[in-house]
Amino acid sequence: MDLPINSANPSLIHIDLNSCFATVMQQAHIQLRGKPLVIAAYATPNGCILSPSIEAKKLGIKTGMRVREAKEIYPDVIVRQSDTNLICDASCKFIKICEDYSPDVTPKSIDEVVMDFSQVKNYWKKSLTEIGLEIKKRFHQEIGEWIFCNVGISTNRMLAKLASSLHKPDGLDVINHKNIHQVYSSINLTDFPGINTRYQIRLNTAGIFTPLDFLSARDDFLKKIVFKSIVGHYWYLRLRGYEVDDFESTRKSFGQEYSLGEKTSDTEKLAKLIMMLTEKMGRRLRASGQTAQGIHLGLLYDDWTFWHRGKKFSESLYTTVELFQKIMFIFSLQPGKKIVRKIMVSCFNFIPVDSQTLSLFEDSVEKKRKVSAAVDKINDRYGEYVVSPALMIESKKVILDRIAFGNRK
Amino acid sequence: MIEKVFEKVSIVSSYNQEKDSFAIYKIGWRKREYFIKQMAYHHKVRQGRNLFHIFHVTDGNLDFRINFDTENLKWILEEVSDGSAD
Repeated sequence: MDLPINSANPSLIHIDLNSCFATVMQQAHIQLRGKPLVIAAYATPNGCILSPSIEAKKLGIKTGMRVREAKEIYPDVIVRQSDTNLICDASCKFIKICEDYSPDVTPKSIDEVVMDFSQVKNYWKKSLTEIGLEIKKRFHQEIGEWIFCNVGISTNRMLAKLASSLHKPDGLDVINHKNIHQVYSSINLTDFPGINTRYQIRLNTAGIFTPLDFLSARDDFLKKIVFKSIVGHYWYLRLRGYEVDDFESTRKSFGQEYSLGEKTSDTEKLAKLIMMLTEKMGRRLRASGQTAQGIHLGLLYDDWTFWHRGKKFSESLYTTVELFQKIMFIFSLQPGKKIVRKIMVSCFNFIPVDSQTLSLFEDSVEKKRKVSAAVDKINDRYGEYVVSPALMIESKKVILDRIAFGNRK
Repeated sequence: MIEKVFEKVSIVSSYNQEKDSFAIYKIGWRKREYFIKQMAYHHKVRQGRNLFHIFHVTDGNLDFRINFDTENLKWILEEVSDGSAD
């Protein structure tokens, strides 16, 4: 028997700040308001666009384009680099306002949160639509009058996100059992969060061409024929408004990457950059109270070929020096010496610091770790890289802080 | 156009205890005075234990980014922009 559409009252709100990086920049810089603006990783022609303003989007400029491409579309487009502190402050204010309404607020990225009201259903004597409108108003009052957001309300995370994307910018939509068919008849398959063009092809091959076809597909058909895994069953539930995405994933790795302004094959120069990346990665690892047993290094060469190697070690790595030595060991395994344009380092296989067996033969390990933790504390108090490895002396501010796309932890 | 400046500036500001609000009225920079019409955004930045207040203000023609260093009580004009493409 087919599962009916979930007729429970919606208990989730998904909020998405519109063109976050660009609108926050326009909030802070009044002269930029109402103008086509792009926030790029670098303001150079090859810089990648992180966020176009609503005005730039209307001209056809999209996230991921190069600055050069945006200028081809609109030569007078304003290009700015992102202001990490400014964005983080706006994001903190945004999350803080949301936390006034629900104890269960999950930031999905710097500009997206999911608020779960299932535990406080009867606390607010108002509907989720009223709460959504109130939050929008508070964003204007407390963050800035140029800050707009989309609010989506539904019974599961996927539908709440879909609802938030129906009327951009500054929309508020509810998807429930009463209007779900109507919503599905007005969108495409790729409008579903998580369905990209490849999945669309897979669905089309199975005879599913519209969201309504997708909804009417049987559980077994999705599971055994279309997705050939449990994923098909999850989609069967999601499409009917049942929650399957309410889980917290654990962090499996810490990584840093850097695109070289000046490409080089010089080992000494590359080692300096690797040390900087390792220090940043090591600080995050130590702050999490863990050590790593695995190291991964990826190098993108100037000829666009990619070499990478991951390795697990018997000892657990904690200090920047320990991590750096292993990365340089992997670095030495490269088959040839080529010009490097991008470096990626990451560590994985974590073990909590306090659950480790100390070595019988190496008595200085504990001491080194304490020194490393003390250096981190000094840097926390007096500023980044106040105390740093000698290799970093000449290259302290080369690697900028960036805001990652995707989940925040 | 955006110009990175990083110069000390004179500031006239006020704090209103009743409204619990702070406002910047005037910036004195390179022997000229700029009368501030609106504060667009204010946020704080920590570098180690040092706390900086960053103010984004406008006089209607130019946007100013001003940094107030709470350690030495100095005001630094960090950047000026007119909102046009570079």
